Amino acid sequence: MGKIKKILRKGPPATKRPPKAARTESADSALGLDAHSDLEKPATSSDDGFEEPTPKPKPSKKTTTLPGPVSIIAQKKNKFRTDDAKNVKPPTLEEMKELRDTRNLFHSNLFKLQVKEMLEELQLKTKYTEYIDNWMESFTVFTQRLKDGLVEKSQLEVPLNVDKKISGFIFSKPTKEPQLIGAASTGTLLGPKIVVDVALEMPKDCLHKDDYLNLIYDQKRALYLTYVTNQMRSDPAYSQDKFAFNYHGNNPLKPVLELTPAAKQVSKHLQLRLFITAPQSTFKPSRFVPWNNNIRPTYYNDEWDEEEALPSTQHYNASVLFDLTLAQNQALLDKAFKGRRNFQDGLLLLKVWLRQRELDRGFTGFGSHILASFIVYLNQQRILHQSSSSYQVARTVWNQLANTDWTNGITLAPASGQTEQLSTMAGYYDVCFMDVSGQLNLCANVPLGVYQRVRAEAKLAVDLLNDMKLNSFPYIFMQKCPLYTRVDNILKITNYSSIQQMLVLHSKPQMKYDFASYGYPQLLQILTELLQKGLKQRVQAILPIETVSSAWPVESKAPIIGQAIQLGLILDPEHAYEVLDKGPSSNDDPEGSAEFRKFWGEKSNLRRFQDGSITEAVVWGTTKDAPSKKRLIVRQIVMHLLEHHLQLDSKDIQYIAAELDLVYQLSPWFKVSKVKTKLELQQDTDAEALSPNVIRCYDDLARQLHALDDLPLEIVSISSISPVSRYCEPMPVLPQARMMADHIHASHIQRVIIQLGQSGKWPNELSALRALKTAFLIEIGEKLKAQCRLNWSITSEGLLVLKRGFCFLLELAHNKELALLKQEVTERGVTKYVDNPESRALEQRHYILPKVSGALHSLHQSHSAYGPTVLIAKRWLATQLLDDGIWPPMATELLVAHLYQQRNAPQAIAAPQTGFIRFLHLLAHSDWNGELFLLNFNSSWQEQQIGDLEHSFRSDRQSYPPLALATSYDQQHAGRLWTTGESPSLRILSHVSRLARHALEMIETSLQSKDLRFVRPAQLFRGSSEGYDLVIQLKSDLVPNALSYDLGSPFVSFDQPNYLLPRAGKDPLAAIVHQLRSAYSDYAAFFYNPHGGKELAIMWRPPAVFAPKAFKVTELQACTLCDKGKVQVVRETLVEDFKVLLKDFYLRISTPEELKREQREHQNPKRYFNAKPQDNESCSKSKKRKLAKAAKVQAPLKRKSLIKSRPLKSLS
Amino acid sequence: MEEIEGYTVVPLRMSSDALHCHSVYMREHFIRLMDPNKPKGRTLFLLNIPPYVTEESLKGFFKRAGNVESVQFAAKPGKDETIKWYEGTNEPFSNVRPPFIFKVAYVVFQKSSSIGKALAVPSIDLFHSSGESTIKTGMELWHEEYENHYILDAEKTKAQITEYMADYDRRERAAALAAKNSEADADGWVTVGKEGRNAGFEQKESVIGRLEKKRENDTKTKELKNFYTFQIRESKMQNIVEMRKKFEEDKRKIELLKQSRRFKPF
Repeated sequence: MGKIKKILRKGPPATKRPPKAARTESADSALGLDAHSDLEKPATSSDDGFEEPTPKPKPSKKTTTLPGPVSIIAQKKNKFRTDDAKNVKPPTLEEMKELRDTRNLFHSNLFKLQVKEMLEELQLKTKYTEYIDNWMESFTVFTQRLKDGLVEKSQLEVPLNVDKKISGFIFSKPTKEPQLIGAASTGTLLGPKIVVDVALEMPKDCLHKDDYLNLIYDQKRALYLTYVTNQMRSDPAYSQDKFAFNYHGNNPLKPVLELTPAAKQVSKHLQLRLFITAPQSTFKPSRFVPWNNNIRPTYYNDEWDEEEALPSTQHYNASVLFDLTLAQNQALLDKAFKGRRNFQDGLLLLKVWLRQRELDRGFTGFGSHILASFIVYLNQQRILHQSSSSYQVARTVWNQLANTDWTNGITLAPASGQTEQLSTMAGYYDVCFMDVSGQLNLCANVPLGVYQRVRAEAKLAVDLLNDMKLNSFPYIFMQKCPLYTRVDNILKITNYSSIQQMLVLHSKPQMKYDFASYGYPQLLQILTELLQKGLKQRVQAILPIETVSSAWPVESKAPIIGQAIQLGLILDPEHAYEVLDKGPSSNDDPEGSAEFRKFWGEKSNLRRFQDGSITEAVVWGTTKDAPSKKRLIVRQIVMHLLEHHLQLDSKDIQYIAAELDLVYQLSPWFKVSKVKTKLELQQDTDAEALSPNVIRCYDDLARQLHALDDLPLEIVSISSISPVSRYCEPMPVLPQARMMADHIHASHIQRVIIQLGQSGKWPNELSALRALKTAFLIEIGEKLKAQCRLNWSITSEGLLVLKRGFCFLLELAHNKELALLKQEVTERGVTKYVDNPESRALEQRHYILPKVSGALHSLHQSHSAYGPTVLIAKRWLATQLLDDGIWPPMATELLVAHLYQQRNAPQAIAAPQTGFIRFLHLLAHSDWNGELFLLNFNSSWQEQQIGDLEHSFRSDRQSYPPLALATSYDQQHAGRLWTTGESPSLRILSHVSRLARHALEMIETSLQSKDLRFVRPAQLFRGSSEGYDLVIQLKSDLVPNALSYDLGSPFVSFDQPNYLLPRAGKDPLAAIVHQLRSAYSDYAAFFYNPHGGKELAIMWRPPAVFAPKAFKVTELQACTLCDKGKVQVVRETLVEDFKVLLKDFYLRISTPEELKREQREHQNPKRYFNAKPQDNESCSKSKKRKLAKAAKVQAPLKRKSLIKSRPLKSLS
Repeated sequence: MEEIEGYTVVPLRMSSDALHCHSVYMREHFIRLMDPNKPKGRTLFLLNIPPYVTEESLKGFFKRAGNVESVQFAAKPGKDETIKWYEGTNEPFSNVRPPFIFKVAYVVFQKSSSIGKALAVPSIDLFHSSGESTIKTGMELWHEEYENHYILDAEKTKAQITEYMADYDRRERAAALAAKNSEADADGWVTVGKEGRNAGFEQKESVIGRLEKKRENDTKTKELKNFYTFQIRESKMQNIVEMRKKFEEDKRKIELLKQSRRFKPF
């Protein structure tokens, strides 16, 4: 207290205080102020850096923090600045403490301030709080006006599906006032859709003693809700509002009323939900202990042996108890949260974190009320102090989540020797967290998998917070990570008959009673148990992916939900792709062996192993199989298990795995048998499986180079920098390079960098140095020919060497070349070394890329999905007509590598497809302007370095390219080395983001639909033809097709492919496009598919560029004279230029619409009889109109229809 | 003949039947500070030359106005622009090419009378009478480029290297000899080389930096630190100042972040 007063005295003069006080007082409840007031309080820090301020009476807090710490600090700063360092204001104890605490607690102010900003952003507008208060008042009055009476057949459907309906329910008016519950009550409402929960208690009179049995309670609850709804609808105060029913938490026994107020100012974001509850004293507490049965088998007309104990219905009991104990639980939460901004904020942080991870969804969700109760629990256990700051609350909760185990049960109830009872209770559930009454398990519906997942995420959050090297804020709070992007494979069963079959044949009766015949949890249990048993350590987690049930209008019948299931599998990359499942030894354990055989059925065989053991085993493939094949093992197992145990047909199941791996396969048009090689090649091979061949060949070449005799200088190091060496080459590289008429022909060249031993005799002139280097390379070539009989050829870039059908380009790296390039002499005659674009490019290629290449190679070794993810990503970018000139390939590789760093998810990605989806996510949702992607390989960069880089990045954003990438090998170039201002430019970046969002949309809708087909690769891997102004078709025989699986061009249909082998290192199309870009990028943008695209698409810049302008000598480029002494750029002239530059290449130039029309006409003649020329025309006209409207905007719907109309099937 | 602000405008035709042509703006080159390579009265200045046009093709065309001494390009009019344009392109064993953009050209004639004739041409036609273009583009260009500039002939290259290196050695030797020569020049200045009795240190930034650092270190080690009370007080103060500065910096960062609306989680 005394200290605070001291601040005040130094603060603004007393006269100025009142207005300020008034301002802050109104905002005192505001979330933002709190972060400061937490820290401003006098505190005694404990050793762990957590402050534990002494609590003080509330009103005093209000007055003392009034002037607002911000203003105080600002004032101090101002004073300090004016007086300058001469007279530094001595720091107050508080300031010192605050500064120190910030460092200890948050690592940096940055995190603290970010949290503060976010909380401010989340803060509820007063118009909502006011509206809620008013609404509650009027609703209370409304409930008091309700009258008792028999519920007649109302117009509304009762929102509940039960087999046996009760009749003659007498409504009695509520005796208690309706209460706000949940987030609205604890003050932790969270946007953007604000859901306010209101509970209305039915009086005891409505319920009889026996109503606990056979869902009578639930029916009465629903009837009560229906009656109240009906009354509300006829009340003028609510008649304008929108009424709908929905299930709470996907639980069909818990219908709630969803009311969207008509009031204009809130209707967009506010929704009220009405719960009906019952007083706790309605039933005896012992009625609903987990081991009791409350739904009799006879209710479902089942027979039950009288002798046998009735099966327990713990989950149903919990569902009823939820209503009964709600008031008591809410009272406890209110006590803990009301008026405690720090707890509320802490909970808000946790809620944001949880919602970003989508773990709080649906029936099995880990709801935020569990988190709220957990905060209370920790407070009770004295782990959380009353006045811990919001950050401490969140952090402690994560820490405790990660380090405690709830499977044995924890309880909020006052301890009175109930430990034994607790463990019995826990035995009935996967996860057990008893509420304050000691009756309800808050986590009754949370399966073990989901709980473990929450724990893993919490652990990750703690780790991120502890990592001083990075700003963990966006990873924890900002990054969206929908569940489907975190799982490797997805199993989807939506077929109605399959679902029924499973429920009828394979679900145990007690499960049916337990879940009151709700299908979803039963399915979940059946499938999880089976898969867990079959997949064992292959799978890390099996998670339900639920979609939240949607509301239905009150007049219609309640839908039946839970008739489909989606499971996400998180695989363990270490074990998932093992080809063998070994059972117990048949000699030692005949019983286990028999069981194993029974479990696996025909797949299991008795096998003898090399170590002499004879056991039952299941074999899923051979160890030599290509990695892409091995990735399908899990799918194979799951399919087999479902068929063997649940008699499901494979066509009724969708198992989403490796759907997109197709795109880096070898094209079926190319016949692999034509390649002359000693290597064994399969026709269905892919880029990933072919990479090791190239790497092996490179290793051999390196050995031969090292062994060369009598070189003037020895070779010190050899490193490969081509993408193949890090498994990132999306084109299948086949050993088909060869000599033809003394010339080397090859479709790919692998770049290799050689460094020689030290020598002082290298010349000091750039040209001379280069001349000597060339001489050296020629010498190496001659020696290779003489000693190893390898063909070679010298080029201006380096030495081409042909070995076993692969072509390598050797380059010599020398320090002096770099130094000479950088060298500059100042006016004073002092030699300086300054970076310039050329030297930077050289340094990157000769020194940095080899290191990064190595690091990425080892990344692939530890995460085998890295390479294939890059392949898919690169293929995707290529098919969107983005070539290397506008999107550097290294940017793709580094961005994907960024995803494979641990901080993004608790588990490593095991499936390339998931990796690709995350890549799309990254493209779609990244804030390019604010984020610097840093790859700290081997953690070789220190905190200080990272901090400096980030500081420089933030303060001098303009000097960095739009997409900023850095690796720990970049030295002084960090952030500027891998990308430039032009590649990718801001325009391209936002274009790519848009494309990625569109692709994600397609994937998401496909996942959510009941359709049993995943997005076909052709839908994702073919660019749109919309938005381009011109298409230049190239002569197809001059541009060789890519060897990878081609999914078609967006403009024309398939043509006869050609696999011409070009001269090594020759890519005229890329060179021409480079020329076009360098000369005409002010007037047009050029796009083509670098993987064998035969069209060049052109988009004109905005019309302003082509408008007439005044004559200016410096701005005359490409301008022709027009009227009135003005000049302008004419598109037709530029097109003529394109023709000149593309001489011999171009077939013709047309607009995309023309092409499309022609394509259609080209295909139509086959249908002589139903061809309708008129239709055709009008269609194309409307299309044109649409196009004009939505120029440059993607038109997803149209595109889909277009794709469908294509005869794609003819390919496969 | 069209004219604008003193420039004569003529179309540049790539073929006889070209409909849409670039306009080239020509006039006699005249500025106050004349470049000796672009002599007064004999130089024609051309604006807006398309990127694919080569020196040879222009030289070939303007022959009709008189003998052409040279054709030079530049990115834009101005002093030293031509030098910048050709920088690095003449060195052997280098892959540097002039940029591929719209450019300006200086055509230097042998006689000044040619200027008038050149300004009177109705159009610049860069094609032979057979209709074939005088500029190689497309497939032809890239094939030639590949054959002549990318792939090198080993034997020829070797010979070229030997010749070049011999020349280089000669130059080096001469330079070394000159460096040893420590006689005063006409103004009485003596150049001090790395060798010899009065050798100076190498004039490199790193060397100078090292020397300066050493001097700094020397003074530092002699200084007493945190010895006097005022020093301790000052260092403490400095510490506080730094911490405050950090706080302010972070706040500014947040302001920046705030502008990009990064705090809305959903």
